[in-house]
Amino acid sequence: MVMEDVPLFVLGLIASSIVAAAIGVLYSLVLPGIERKVQARIQQRIGPPILTPGFWSVLKFGYKKRVDPNAQMPGLYRSLVYFGIGIVVLLFLFTTPYWWAVLGWGSILGIAGLLKLEEVLYVLMGSQSQSFLSTGMPVPDIAKGSKHIGIKREFVEQHSGERALKMMAIGSLPLYLALLVPFAMAKSTMIRSVVAMQNPGYIMSSNWLSAPLPSSPVLFTLPGILAAIVYFVGYVMLLNEKPFSILKAKIDLIEGGVLEYASKLRAYYYIMRNVLMFALSSIFVTLFIGIPFDPFMPVMMVLNLALSLLLPIMLAALVAFSPILTFRQIYPAAIGLSAIGVLALIISLGV
Amino acid sequence: MTSGEKRVEIEKELSFGPVHPALIEPYRIRLFVNDEIVEDCELNINMAYRGIEKLFDGLPVERALLIAERVCGICSHVHAWNSVRVIEGGLKIDVPPRANYIRVITQEMQRITSHLILFGHAFEVVGHETFAMRSFLLRESFMDLISYVGGNRVMPSVPIIGGIRPRADLTESLKRVILERIDEFEEKYKGYVARIIEDPLVMSRLTGIGFLTKEDAIKFHATGPTGRASGWDYDVRTKMDEYKPFDFNVITDESCDTKARIVVRALEIFESLKIIRQAVKNLPEGPVVNRSWKAEEMDFTTALLEAYRGELMHSYALDSQGRIRNYKIRTPTPTNLAAMEHACIGDHVTEAILTIASCDPCLTCCTRAEIVDSGKSFVLSDLEIIRKYGWRK
Repeated sequence: MVMEDVPLFVLGLIASSIVAAAIGVLYSLVLPGIERKVQARIQQRIGPPILTPGFWSVLKFGYKKRVDPNAQMPGLYRSLVYFGIGIVVLLFLFTTPYWWAVLGWGSILGIAGLLKLEEVLYVLMGSQSQSFLSTGMPVPDIAKGSKHIGIKREFVEQHSGERALKMMAIGSLPLYLALLVPFAMAKSTMIRSVVAMQNPGYIMSSNWLSAPLPSSPVLFTLPGILAAIVYFVGYVMLLNEKPFSILKAKIDLIEGGVLEYASKLRAYYYIMRNVLMFALSSIFVTLFIGIPFDPFMPVMMVLNLALSLLLPIMLAALVAFSPILTFRQIYPAAIGLSAIGVLALIISLGV
Repeated sequence: MTSGEKRVEIEKELSFGPVHPALIEPYRIRLFVNDEIVEDCELNINMAYRGIEKLFDGLPVERALLIAERVCGICSHVHAWNSVRVIEGGLKIDVPPRANYIRVITQEMQRITSHLILFGHAFEVVGHETFAMRSFLLRESFMDLISYVGGNRVMPSVPIIGGIRPRADLTESLKRVILERIDEFEEKYKGYVARIIEDPLVMSRLTGIGFLTKEDAIKFHATGPTGRASGWDYDVRTKMDEYKPFDFNVITDESCDTKARIVVRALEIFESLKIIRQAVKNLPEGPVVNRSWKAEEMDFTTALLEAYRGELMHSYALDSQGRIRNYKIRTPTPTNLAAMEHACIGDHVTEAILTIASCDPCLTCCTRAEIVDSGKSFVLSDLEIIRKYGWRK
């Protein structure tokens, strides 16, 4: 890129980011509704209206009375959700074509780094939150006759933070292994190379109305399909959805670290979670099918949005038929999936 | 702790409730854990004290029945039935056989709904919403049948002293409906049970947790399906005259874990269907109520009945005017509480809640306390008990 092109590029980058972020956030608000509707139909229920879980509930929480968290450092606890939104929006933007050329952020390093940051947030949220629903409940636990007086008493959210740490260590490993496969096949760390390998027509196209389709998607290769399966399970783990929702298992930890987010903060948390759901789906379409979210190529953008429904729909089916797994099952599952991920990686290196 | 006991290191305490989205009733669970493993457990009840036994005192015995039925919404019939069995036993009141058959039919129908509620709750705790919802869907067939028999889904009010309410008598068409409905139900229910058993994820959550050996079950007085799932062959129905005409098996399981507690209940539903079929097909002709009795002084009398969660005891005396004195109810849950605390040990935190749920606690029904001090009986509020005797006395 020559120096004269830089202002134009920055302008394009800003415009592309604004369009992509706006469309991505709005679209992400519809996904939970679709997921819940599919789940409900599987369970022979009518289910909620499609806009209710993602859109109207966010709007509703935005208008609720503000409730201050009882966290150890309320300011930090509140700011974590803003960080979260920033991280997931950047994660999505890094996979859009304009960002591929910015400081190497449109690469496996950018994606994996931001995903790890997102995981760390749950540890921090868990360590901060102190709702009244466990230790803080005004019940005379340590009165006369009680068992084990004088030991450490922990809030359920803190226990959720510990579980988040375990999930960071082992639970999310399969997702990162699966992410590596398309990059290994393209023999590059850059998203551009991965898309170019699958969809050379797109890279060469300069017509904004064209719709170059991928000629050799990673998804339709042996390592690609193995990695896609592992990616899907990793996607479920990262979203903390059943069967891997141990950090926010309703039966013990209720909502985990995000328990104290109420009113506007809860609305922001929903936005964070919804955008993460969409960002991971969009990354899958970009890396495994070769159709990136290009704000300046409407057909490609619509294709990416449409195919991004795949993972949430599969997630809904899985959630409807799954119990919550405990670490007794999660450890072997994560090890088995990691093994499949490693196998896919080895095969992809051979390819 | 004695010197011979193994010392358990506790890292921390996690506590849940009495206000918690997963606890359908107000109680406090304190888990003493090392990392994720439960080393000890403490269940605290008495969060919703209603003083229901005190309400009975001085009431005419017929009116007391209405209160007895309201001890529990799930076990309403069993409380009403056992309440009348006390006076029928104490004053030697004959009950027509037809009435006994209809009482048994209602009892077994409600047993099925109770077990299906447990499945709903247990699968909600497991996190499998589909199985939980299917369970509640299946339960609707029997809620309808209970309403056809008694006129109400939750409080059918079938038994009265000396028989049943005449409106609860079974007509020929109702007998036909019951037989058709239980055939339909059985087919759907078999499919439901098969799907649960064939689901490896669900079975992996249920198997190998919440161990309660037969010795421990007997030691902690675990009753009902909780005890039978530990291989303890104890069912009050086998000793009851009302159940003598019926052929049924007492289901036991030697696995002693959470899965066993679910499986025992699942199989008991088939036995209940068997009993209902026999009772409807062989329903004797004749009156449904014997009104030739008079309330008079009665000594303290006890009646036992196999409720859906275990052994239920009702006991009271009548004064010379036929008014109730010293009503005592022991629901199955108080005797199962210690077993629940013990069964949790060694489980993961998330599994411990499931283990407690699999013992099917009904804590609001069991929450009552009466103090007998120097021969004088009186009822205290929770606060008064804590002030006078300390917590957990």
